Order: sequence, then C-alpha cells, then structure tokens
Amino acid sequence: MTRLSKTQYDQRVFAAMAVYVALVLLLLPQARHAETLLPRLTSSLLPTAPMLYVLWLLGKRIWQSDELEQRMHLIGLGAASAVVGVFSLIGGFLAVAKVVPHDAAATLLLWTFPILMFSYSIARTWAARHYGGGICEETDGIPMHRRFLVLTLMFVVIAAWAYFRSNDDVAVGVFCGFATGFALAALILALRRWRQSKHADR
Amino acid sequence: MNNKVRELRGEHGWSQGDLAEKLDVSRQTVNAIETGKYDPSLPLAFRIAKLFRLSIESIFQPGKD
Repeated sequence: MTRLSKTQYDQRVFAAMAVYVALVLLLLPQARHAETLLPRLTSSLLPTAPMLYVLWLLGKRIWQSDELEQRMHLIGLGAASAVVGVFSLIGGFLAVAKVVPHDAAATLLLWTFPILMFSYSIARTWAARHYGGGICEETDGIPMHRRFLVLTLMFVVIAAWAYFRSNDDVAVGVFCGFATGFALAALILALRRWRQSKHADR
Repeated sequence: MNNKVRELRGEHGWSQGDLAEKLDVSRQTVNAIETGKYDPSLPLAFRIAKLFRLSIESIFQPGKD
C-alpha cells in the first residue's frame, strides 16, 4: 500500500469536508420536503459519504504510521471519544428533561462528528507537543494557519447560506462566531510562523 | 532511559531525516528518541542496534527511575 503523504492526506480531507458542507447545505433541507421515502433517504444520508471517506483516510493514515505516531493517534482518539461521550450524555439528559427540545437534540447529534474530529485534532496536537513536536514546526502537510483559513472560508459560506436561506439569527451568529474564531487562530499562527522564519533567517 | 542515538547519528554524518528513512519511522520519532521523550519499542530498538552494528545495551542504558 502506498504511504499517503501528509499533504495528500490534508488535501483529500479538506476536499471531503467541502463536499460534506455543500451536501449538508444543499441536500439536507430537501429531506424534510421530499414526499417519498427514497429521495428522503438519499438526501439525508448522502452527506455521510464524504465523512466515511475521511474515516477511511484516517484509518489508512494510522495504519501506515510508526509506533510513536500510532500512540499519538490513540491519545487523540481516546480524548475525542471522552469529549464526545460527555457531550452526548449532557445533550441526552437535557433532551430527556425537555430543557432542550427534541428537534434541537437532533441538531446536536449533527455536531457529534465535527466535535469528535476537532477534539481529536486538539488532543493529537497536545500529544505531538508532549513528544517534542509542535503545531508551528510542521515540515510537511498544509501549514496550520492555512488549514484554519480554509475552515474560516467554510464557515463564512455556511453563515452566508444561513443568513440568506434560513434567516435564523442564532445560527448566523454561531457560524459567524466560528468563522471569527478560526480567522483569529489563522492570524495568530501565521504571525508565529512569520516570526519563527524571521528568527531562523538570522 | 538514556541513549546514544544522537551521538551515533552524528558519527555517521546523518541528519534526523536520513536516520528516520533508514529506520522507516518519522523524523519526529527520531527526535523524540534522541531527546529521551520517547523510549522505542523492542523491535525498533533492535532495528537501531542493527543499523549501527552495536548491541542494544551499548546504545540504551536505564535511567535513574
């Protein structure tokens, strides 16, 4: 099996994420209005295809990793499972107690996978730093500030879609908040990278 | 655990990337072993010893704890 380079992995993951966002925005709203079962199933389940592809890529990457990398993946996945478990438990209790409506609970479930991946990234980055690596010392793959920039663009698109299509102020606020947060992170990481390259030149 | 991997790599004039390629691991793993942040598994320790044509105990020594 050909070893997937970090750049190839990053590019494929971001392409899958873009497809996922597009499918969620374009197909998922149609699921409620479809009259027969087949189009309803298709439009509601099709967004899982890019996510399954990302999971397959992740599995391939872990399989091809060396022993230290596998340990870091394990730490990341363990921490992410714990976060998602707690998140789901809290969401479930709140839904049972009718603190949040059942419709909102279903929406919360849609966040399970993004939260899993986000917690995994944070925990894996922490583990990499623990073993002497760092988020700004990456020599391969897409630089971290560019990854955050792509996420910013994605959330800008989602926020614009929410503004023009659903007119849901809370959703627009949440998506704008995410976009701003990722933009700030991208800026900070880009500045750190620039400062490090400036010091390296001296 | 203490080790002489950095010293031995220097003697051979290899970069961390060169050693990583020879051992089929990542550069970060080589760096973590050299800095003592990660102790390699027995199979990897054997690969390192074989590469430098030395015994494992002459490269890796137990630390204080």
